[in-house]
Amino acid sequence: MKTYEVIWNAIRVQPWNWFFNLVGITVLYLSFQIPALVLREFFNLITGDAEVDFDFWTLVAFMAASALVRIGGELGIVLTNVPMMYNIAAWLQKNMFNRILHRPGAAALPNSSGEAISRFRGDPEQVYIFPLWINDVIGSVVYSSIALVIMLGIAPKITLVACIPVVFVVLLTTAMTRHISHYRRLSREATGAVTGFIGETFGAVQGIKVANAEKTILGRFRTLNHERSQTALKDHLFDELREAVYSNAVALGTGIILIMAATAIREERFTIGDFALFVYYLEFLTEMTWMLGYIIAKYEQTGISVDRMVTLLQGGSPRQLIERGPIYLAGQLPEIPYIAKGREHHLEELRVTGLTHQFADSTHGIQDVDFAFERGTFNVVTGRIGSGKTTLLRTLQGLLTPQSGTIHWNEKIVDDPASFFVPPRSAYTSQIPWLFSAPLRENLLMGMPESETDLEAAIHAAVLEKDLVDFDDGLDTLVGPKGVRLSGGQIQRTAAARMFVRDPELYIFDDLSSALDVDTEKTLWERLFAQRQATCLVVSHRRPALRRADQIVVLKDGRIEDRGSLDELLERCEEMQRLWKGDWGDETSDAE
Amino acid sequence: MNTSPGKYRKFLTAYLMPQWQLALLLGTLLFTTIGLELFSPRILARFIDDAREGVAIEILKNSAFLYIGIALVRQVVSVAARYLSERVGWAATNALREDLTLHCLRLDMSFHNQNTPGQLIERIDGDVANLANFFSDFVFRIVGSLILLFGVLGLLYWEDWHIGAALTVYAIIGMACLFKMRSIAVPQWKAARQASSDLFGFLEEQLSGTEDLRSSGATGYALQQFYKHAGNRLKQERIAGLKSIWLRNTNAFVNVLGYIISLISCFYLFNDGAITIGKIYLVIAYTGMLSGPLRRLTRQMEDLQKASASLSRIEELQLLATRVHDGPGYPLPSGPIAIEFRELTFGYKEDEPVLHDLSFRLESGRILGLLGRTGSGKTTVARLLFRLYDPQSGAIHIGGTDIRQAKIAALRDQVGMVTQSVQLFRATIRDNLTFFNPEVADDHILHVIEDIGLLPWYEQQPQGLDTQLQSGGQGLSAGQAQLLTFVRVFLKAPGLVVLDEATSRLDPATEGMIERAIDKLLARCTAIIIAHRLATVRRADDILILDEGRVHEHGPRRDLEKDPNSRFSELLRTGLTEVLS
Repeated sequence: MKTYEVIWNAIRVQPWNWFFNLVGITVLYLSFQIPALVLREFFNLITGDAEVDFDFWTLVAFMAASALVRIGGELGIVLTNVPMMYNIAAWLQKNMFNRILHRPGAAALPNSSGEAISRFRGDPEQVYIFPLWINDVIGSVVYSSIALVIMLGIAPKITLVACIPVVFVVLLTTAMTRHISHYRRLSREATGAVTGFIGETFGAVQGIKVANAEKTILGRFRTLNHERSQTALKDHLFDELREAVYSNAVALGTGIILIMAATAIREERFTIGDFALFVYYLEFLTEMTWMLGYIIAKYEQTGISVDRMVTLLQGGSPRQLIERGPIYLAGQLPEIPYIAKGREHHLEELRVTGLTHQFADSTHGIQDVDFAFERGTFNVVTGRIGSGKTTLLRTLQGLLTPQSGTIHWNEKIVDDPASFFVPPRSAYTSQIPWLFSAPLRENLLMGMPESETDLEAAIHAAVLEKDLVDFDDGLDTLVGPKGVRLSGGQIQRTAAARMFVRDPELYIFDDLSSALDVDTEKTLWERLFAQRQATCLVVSHRRPALRRADQIVVLKDGRIEDRGSLDELLERCEEMQRLWKGDWGDETSDAE
Repeated sequence: MNTSPGKYRKFLTAYLMPQWQLALLLGTLLFTTIGLELFSPRILARFIDDAREGVAIEILKNSAFLYIGIALVRQVVSVAARYLSERVGWAATNALREDLTLHCLRLDMSFHNQNTPGQLIERIDGDVANLANFFSDFVFRIVGSLILLFGVLGLLYWEDWHIGAALTVYAIIGMACLFKMRSIAVPQWKAARQASSDLFGFLEEQLSGTEDLRSSGATGYALQQFYKHAGNRLKQERIAGLKSIWLRNTNAFVNVLGYIISLISCFYLFNDGAITIGKIYLVIAYTGMLSGPLRRLTRQMEDLQKASASLSRIEELQLLATRVHDGPGYPLPSGPIAIEFRELTFGYKEDEPVLHDLSFRLESGRILGLLGRTGSGKTTVARLLFRLYDPQSGAIHIGGTDIRQAKIAALRDQVGMVTQSVQLFRATIRDNLTFFNPEVADDHILHVIEDIGLLPWYEQQPQGLDTQLQSGGQGLSAGQAQLLTFVRVFLKAPGLVVLDEATSRLDPATEGMIERAIDKLLARCTAIIIAHRLATVRRADDILILDEGRVHEHGPRRDLEKDPNSRFSELLRTGLTEVLS
């Protein structure tokens, strides 16, 4: 995808604002013509070198009028640029966000979320500023064309010679843009490293405090900061040099005018008024050429930002970045789509054959996993750490992309697990559930209409009702980032309640019990089975779960070691025996 | 809105003084360019008069070359100055970023419980980036502009005092207007900064929680929330932008007013024969230059408004003090240490105690099993030990010293914790284990890894200690990530270890593997094992059962086991019955 396509589509986000912005900028530039012409006439008037059509006070009035024109232009710019900029930013952000939300959820980002933020913040800025630059260049070109016509009319030879350094600037700056992209890329990457690190640091703040590691963390931060400033300085040095070349062009041009005008003024072919006008115009002419060079450089830089945003789409078509669609920044927000449970969601049997997901950079993953279960059964996946239990749950639901294998829901093949395994078909509680810094109610509903669900029943089912009484604001309690204001068990039960709210056909739990005490866990399973005909797929190595299981799937090194009922497996499967024994050790045997 | 100069001075001295040599050089370069800028129009004025008087063409050409030469020198100096100013700016803002990061790291957990990492990215990086200009250019631009202003006015007086006086009046009016406008939009810019911080805080949080968003079918909801935040940002930016239009308008009027005043003055003086054409050119050129510093001052004012908004947000952040104050530094004993909780009451909110009048003692070298239902205050006990919070009343003594009397750093060096949740950095295994401390030798790390039986796992890592881990531990299972935290604690060799549900994510087989390691670790220190599962506390010497923040039962494990009426033995019975049922 070419950078210009992105820019063109950015303009189309708010075409009218763009147009009026262009008008505003052009008017602003034209307002600068007035002082130039007034000054020329003023000199001609007082020296008497040439005929002047106006008297002195009319010239003063023109000068005053230029302020009004300028204010008009400024107003046009201010009224249009902010909406345009932030709509374009939101448009790009929405497209990136939307794509990430549709990526396999467990591998949605190429990097840390803090690093991704640098792509949401700085890179759209590069794009939204570009249409404004285009307007600036157009305004400047309009101004310069008028200036050139007037100058050629007064003294063609001087005009042409004075413009030589200006042309030279264009050529030089174009040649320099090649170097820009390399340093720009490095500088953007270094920025991403810094924001990523800040994000990780404050995500791990308690661990850092406890480990007394503030100083060493800061040392690392300092290194990243230093790298960033070094790359940014190199990146900007090119901008500076370009600017210097531009200013020198003005100086050289003015010098040339001086030399050539020396004789002309003496021979009275060139008035002082003409001289003042030329010097005044030359600055604008060079500014225009400087802007042409600048916009070429900006174009390169924008290209890098576009690349960076496309990277975040991770394999999605780059076109998704510039997909057009509504952005709701004012007025009524869109309705959140809600799908009520219907017959098409009904689960009779789930069958998995040959499911495989290998991680690219390690030996981990799952290979050739086959199993099946029916409605109303309780199925447990167990195995040692790193044996692929979580990977299996994630791959099944499309939170990781399956590399091969098929999944049958009843008799139908599931083509896209990621969009298929969502409520009301299935719901999932991950090992470390993520809560959002919002009220508890919002964390449970997450956009579900409250009228479609029984919050109270869900809270009861998740054994959260007692905790709720202790919360100050009940369901309106703010849970804090990641739910830090709740205990580990409360977070897991909140996540469980979030599932119950959705009343799915299939419940998928990843090690739900790791933060729950025995009583609570027991109550939770009991309530789950007492109240509904639940179908469950559960990762656990706890005995209460294993005992309850209709089927146990034992994973070892990513492959199925065995599956069957607990008794069968304890009989024949060595791995299962080891897992079973390890749990309670001596004490169990004591008790038995 | 307080935009007193004192505030700026404080930041400038703190972050510019350390680089005063560079700043001085920068100042010199900038003032050189100002001098040259003032000199250039005089050459043009002289040239015009000479040309009209018919001076020899060589002299005119010399003037032209002089003009070009000065302009070239000016450019070289100004590129150097701009490069330098950016360097100064980066050094200052990076120092500020580092100070803020350290400050935030030291702030109480209650602060972090209210601020997402995304919001902090925006506060530490976003707000500070807005100040880059302030540090690098601001002083020099303002001072430089003022010098240019006074220089021009002085030279105008020299040419003709009427013109000098007229333009002085003009400059005063202009300055007064602009000064009045300077803080017109600060509150609006501040609101805009907050909106932006909210947006990125929201996004960071959502991006971290994609797995939960997807599987809860909440993507539509996430998008809707995004619109809400992005819409608010647009609204705030718009308000701020509209407010600052007054500044631009004032600027336009001031600029044109200058030209009008000088045109009128020159017109009358010329008619009286008091001034040459060359001088008129000079006066008009200088008037144009006057609008330069005025315009730059305005632009600086506009930047300053944004900077002020950021500055006051930074200041707010800096003013947040921790309630946990560092102690005077009483020494703590090394080796296994005894702990005592004395009538300790604590609540995250003052009026809602989580722990009530808690007293217990743990002798050095013993292992305490801390049991209780979810929410009974177990983890709070651990947090207090690290002084993540301080109690409202009562105290904790370690080896006979109130922990508030010791240095926090010394305390945290003596106490180690393994928790259930593990956060990993996108960095090498080594850096993740040492928290980026380069002083920990590889040998030592490998020794510890071997010691706790992780060598088989370590040998699977493609680049050994240099293996890169992904952010949030992607690629490692949650259990493997937890093993790393064991290594972290072993590296520290503390006198007290808290295991907070440390093995709950490990499967029984792996748990067995590190049993021996835990035995080794606990042999060297006092330990508190927090658990809601009985199996986890089987190695405990003492048992303490918490119930709603009070000691329900406390005693040696063997005694409690034998006593059929104890809660512990009841738990053992029910717990195991449940398992055996």
